[in-house]
Amino acid sequence: MSRFKNLFTALAAVVLGLLAGAVFMALSGSNPLAGFYYLFRGGLMNMERIGNTLASATTLVFTGLAVAFSFKTGLFNIGASGQMLMGGLTATAIGLSVQMPRMILLPLIVLAAAAAGALWAAIPGFLKAKFNVHEVVATIMMNWIAYWTVYYTIPAYFKGTFLETESRRIPALASFRVEWLTNIFRGSYINMGVFLALTAVIVIAIILEKTTLGFELKAVGFNRYAAEYAGIHVPKNIVLSMSISGILAGLAGATYYLGYAVNMQIGVVPSAGIDGIAVALLGANSPWGVLASSLFFGILHSGKGFMNAMTKVPPEIGDTIIAIIIYFAATGVLFTRLWERITRKWNKEA
Amino acid sequence: MKSKISVVLIGILLVLAVAGCAKKEAPAPAAPSMKVGMVTDAGTIDDKSFNQGTWEGVLRAGTEFKLDTKYLKPSGTTEADYLKEIGNLYDAGYKFIVTPGFKFETTIFQAQTKYADAKFVLIDGSPHAGDWKNVVGPNTVSIFFAEHESGFVAGVAAALQMKTGSFGFIGGMEIPPVQKFNWGFQRGVDYANKNLGTKITIKAENVIYQGSFDNVAAGQQIAASMYDKGVTVIFAAAGGVGVGAINEAKARATAGKTAWIVGVDVDQYADGIYTGDKSVILTSAMKRIDVAAFDMIKAELDKTFPGGKTLTFDAKNNGVGIPAKNPNLAPEVQAKVEEIFKLMQNGTITVPADQGTFIK
Repeated sequence: MSRFKNLFTALAAVVLGLLAGAVFMALSGSNPLAGFYYLFRGGLMNMERIGNTLASATTLVFTGLAVAFSFKTGLFNIGASGQMLMGGLTATAIGLSVQMPRMILLPLIVLAAAAAGALWAAIPGFLKAKFNVHEVVATIMMNWIAYWTVYYTIPAYFKGTFLETESRRIPALASFRVEWLTNIFRGSYINMGVFLALTAVIVIAIILEKTTLGFELKAVGFNRYAAEYAGIHVPKNIVLSMSISGILAGLAGATYYLGYAVNMQIGVVPSAGIDGIAVALLGANSPWGVLASSLFFGILHSGKGFMNAMTKVPPEIGDTIIAIIIYFAATGVLFTRLWERITRKWNKEA
Repeated sequence: MKSKISVVLIGILLVLAVAGCAKKEAPAPAAPSMKVGMVTDAGTIDDKSFNQGTWEGVLRAGTEFKLDTKYLKPSGTTEADYLKEIGNLYDAGYKFIVTPGFKFETTIFQAQTKYADAKFVLIDGSPHAGDWKNVVGPNTVSIFFAEHESGFVAGVAAALQMKTGSFGFIGGMEIPPVQKFNWGFQRGVDYANKNLGTKITIKAENVIYQGSFDNVAAGQQIAASMYDKGVTVIFAAAGGVGVGAINEAKARATAGKTAWIVGVDVDQYADGIYTGDKSVILTSAMKRIDVAAFDMIKAELDKTFPGGKTLTFDAKNNGVGIPAKNPNLAPEVQAKVEEIFKLMQNGTITVPADQGTFIK
């Protein structure tokens, strides 16, 4: 039953989000139907655009999983952006300075980025477990530490020949983009990250559903004190949960900066870290839900520009419409209540 | 009772959805002869700098020649984000695309071959693959400005207006366009000292490159220390850092002290207003980005699009200079500067682009 409930919640949220977006389109003087037509066409009308949608979704799968995983343990990892930055910085550093065969280099980059993300998330995890410092505060702080670390490290060690605000270009050797994939999707930014993301979805699903570790983590999430009473080591699980969450966000960084982008820029907090929260909420914190909602958000992100180009909706309103859709899509909890009421009534009548 | 409300709500939603579907798509307006698109750089369309300047040129061409114009704002500043918006414009039929700023160099390098039947105008940059080996495709025009000439005119104007005193310069990053502004400005002041009887000094300690284009606080700090050392006019060619300098000047002007700024890129007079219509902006060393965008669109309509070429906008084609109206300049100063600008246009005065014997 709960699976139907989650599906209903998500679909209702999406519909409400789209309706709210439609109202805004109408207010800005455009036909909402045409707007949505071009929005989805922009995300899906040819192989290149499908590739771009998948490329946008890749980052969101990772950050969405990161947030969802921590939610399962009752933790709110709002620091996916910072963990993503540190993963990306580590990946960029290795990609720009290490020369070795691609077969070894890419796995090395992936592992290092995962480790960096894990470390960045483990610190707030440790503070929470040991001193009960709220992880929301700690992870936000860590975001800014990551932001400034990147801000000083890139210009100091990896700056381009001309631009101070960007790193050098990632060499083809270390790039996550591969020719055959780019060719299938006609020059899109899709990269190996998409397979990594799918693997992550499966691995996280297995961890949560089939392992003792997953059971313990969820138990801590449901009721920390009950879990402790049942003999589960709560502090260990908090640090572990944050670390796994950080690994996922770190991978988001590696695939974003070495796959989607061609270098690392300073002074930018990746929005994917925040979007990950909406992705996780819409996906009801389940790995497969995250996958589906990432694809939906991916379409919105890559279709927006085409909608702007084809309609009279100005880009600023376009951004607002996407934000409204995301906002309403994340209000699934309203529909959970609604569903509960409907089923309660149903049961009473039956 | 409550459940009934929810049922009604769902009903309303469904009706809305169906009603939405019933609407017919509006017929597309008759296709104009050319569709001109623009992709914005980081920042907003009203950034009072590159984005706004370019868009104003595009808009002017749009109204004058009855063209369909459109700008798109990328969701990030990566090459992928830029290329995506160019693709969106292209797919929507906008095959004349203007991009402002050097950040588009690698993007246009790829776009010019990927969309071979589209035309590209790259303002203040030249396409390359990330290795600074410039390749201007046959469908691309790369546009640069003679910043040194712009700085020169502004330097002459500022010197003539102030007659005596000490000037300063705040640059963003130490890169060629900013350096050329600096050297040109110093040359202008030097020219006025030698030929027009002014006595302006520029000390080496008052010529500073801050190192970024966005550190507003640092700009304010540097400006404050310069004004404290007796500088009366600061030429700020530094983006956001310059905004900090303008803020400092405004604070001082409000307190009744002498503090002037020479603006950059566009007419910054409005940015420097501190009370009523009084502004701290003495004049501005402009690059006429809007003229460049407009001219290229006009050239395309006239079938004279200079594809494959790298153009320099300078005094000769009115591509640089100071604003036509400078409320803070005396009328005789304005007249004298116009005279000198004419001499630059006919080649009597030439302004070298190199450092020469000037500071930094």
